[in-house]
Amino acid sequence: MNPQAGRPTDIPADGSNGLFELPAELAIDTDVARRVIVGFIRNQLRQAGFDRALVGLSGGIDSALVAYLVADAIKPELLLCVSMPYRTSSPESVEHARMVVDRLGCSSEVVDISPMVDGYFGADGAAGAGGLDAAPLRRGNFMARQRMCVLYDRSVTWGGLVVGTGNKTESLIGYTTLFGDSACAFNPIGDLYKSQVRQLAAAVGVPEEIIRKAPSADLWPGQTDESEAGFTYPALDRLLFWMIDKRRDDEELLAMGFDVATVDRVKRMVAVSEFKRQVPPVAKLGPRTTGVDYLYPRRRPGSARR
Amino acid sequence: MAPRLGVVEDNLARHLALLDEARGGGADLVVFPELGLTGYLIQDLAGEVAMRRDDPRLLELAARAEGSAGERPMSAVVSFVEESDDHRLFISAALLEGGAVRFVHRKLFLPTYGLFDERRFFAAGDSLRTVESRLGVRLGLAVCEDFWHLSVPETLAFDGAHVLINVSSSPGRDLAAIHEVGLGTAASWQTLIRTYAQLTTSYVVFCNRVGVDETISFWGGSEVISPSGDAVFSAPLFDEGLHFVDVDAADVRRERVSLPLLRDERPELHLRELRRILAERTGMTIDQASERGPGVEPADGETRRRAKARENR
Repeated sequence: MNPQAGRPTDIPADGSNGLFELPAELAIDTDVARRVIVGFIRNQLRQAGFDRALVGLSGGIDSALVAYLVADAIKPELLLCVSMPYRTSSPESVEHARMVVDRLGCSSEVVDISPMVDGYFGADGAAGAGGLDAAPLRRGNFMARQRMCVLYDRSVTWGGLVVGTGNKTESLIGYTTLFGDSACAFNPIGDLYKSQVRQLAAAVGVPEEIIRKAPSADLWPGQTDESEAGFTYPALDRLLFWMIDKRRDDEELLAMGFDVATVDRVKRMVAVSEFKRQVPPVAKLGPRTTGVDYLYPRRRPGSARR
Repeated sequence: MAPRLGVVEDNLARHLALLDEARGGGADLVVFPELGLTGYLIQDLAGEVAMRRDDPRLLELAARAEGSAGERPMSAVVSFVEESDDHRLFISAALLEGGAVRFVHRKLFLPTYGLFDERRFFAAGDSLRTVESRLGVRLGLAVCEDFWHLSVPETLAFDGAHVLINVSSSPGRDLAAIHEVGLGTAASWQTLIRTYAQLTTSYVVFCNRVGVDETISFWGGSEVISPSGDAVFSAPLFDEGLHFVDVDAADVRRERVSLPLLRDERPELHLRELRRILAERTGMTIDQASERGPGVEPADGETRRRAKARENR
């Protein structure tokens, strides 16, 4: 690990110090995870012909962990962390993002997205094209997509690839904005449940304050994932793990002690969000169609930028 | 090694360099991983990177393994996409000896489930034979998934193999903390190859690639297991490297004399029962293995027992 990436905290892998709850079946070997992920990041960049990367840093644990892992994989000065607060974003988020940048010694930039967002929805009583009375969800999705716009624009000026920060839990239940926070060149933590993100974050030395605080999309003040979803991450992760990774059916899940209402609700969330996890379908017309019967590796010979 | 996906020229150069390095280290046999010349996740590139057995690039490798006059000749196992005369594409492993392609094993079992999609792009081999090596031992070649089928090490042992060589591109997965080595795939493979070495009282050489193709990380961890099932050599997980391992062919003899498992095998019994089972499965006898409808009484005690076993599954 990069010596500048901060001192690992003395947190047992099972989170038994109370920093976070880690269901036993979800515990991973963090050394191997780090090894695989760091190799993955290096390869993704090299195969695409890039040395540099950029991460949108929210101040939360997911993007903090990704920043630590990228800094571990490449030199911190080749990583650009971009904070993109809106005027109502929690000051704590901004502070935590700065803390990550300071600890890693990576490049950083703050881009205030308020003018972009307010330009569309309006501000100070003057409505924009989107309307002043837009529901929080619309505003939240719009902000997520503005951040995507900024990141992809900065990817050109920085000359690096956008690294994704979404985790497996939020992807499976669809707690993402399509073409917003889910947009990236590659994602190193997309196969880790939130509980595993916490375990790995503790292992690589992400600051305790960031690991400890309640996860939030910070799209409106006081929002937290768990209050919005109605269940805790450890409980949700356990259910998803047994349902999806271990292929347990409803009857088996109920016998394990999961309640029927939660199982039904989570199953529905997973099914309803299937479209967010897949490339949009293309009508099959010609002899050879991308993604159907034209199947090449993304990183085929000649695909690198240089 | 970590092959570059689809970039045959680079991979060929890497093979040649490693052969030179191996010669410098005094190697007799050099084993490269599955699809080391092409990379693993090639999909529709398969047809573009395929080689015939007499491809000049294979012959170049064979010549380099053989070395020039005065140099110590080496044997080598390399793996590539093979195109047959009738244009089927195989995942093949070739034994290079005497400056020629001496023997080719075509992967028999093509995983097409879970994260694998090999049958879509490749044809399955249809023969399993050992080959007498210049090194004074019979070699049994297998490719990755071939070793997930008991019949492969068993048949190779019956056919006289002293050394079983498996070349792999095994994707690492399952990081559950319960695994001793931190990776479920590695734990499974380690169990398999120790068991095969012990049961066939043969050396097992397992050569697995490293590096990343798309989403998949290959975990390395190549090993050499002695005929008594002990690891003679274990490479680290995920690290690229050229490793030299001393293998004493006399160990095979010692183990087989003291633990004559192979002598006591009953291939004729196995074959007879396999014939019966095949006949039943294909409906050639009354005792059919097809699923019975609910409530249908089995005809006799034997089939009743089987129906019961089916219910209990």
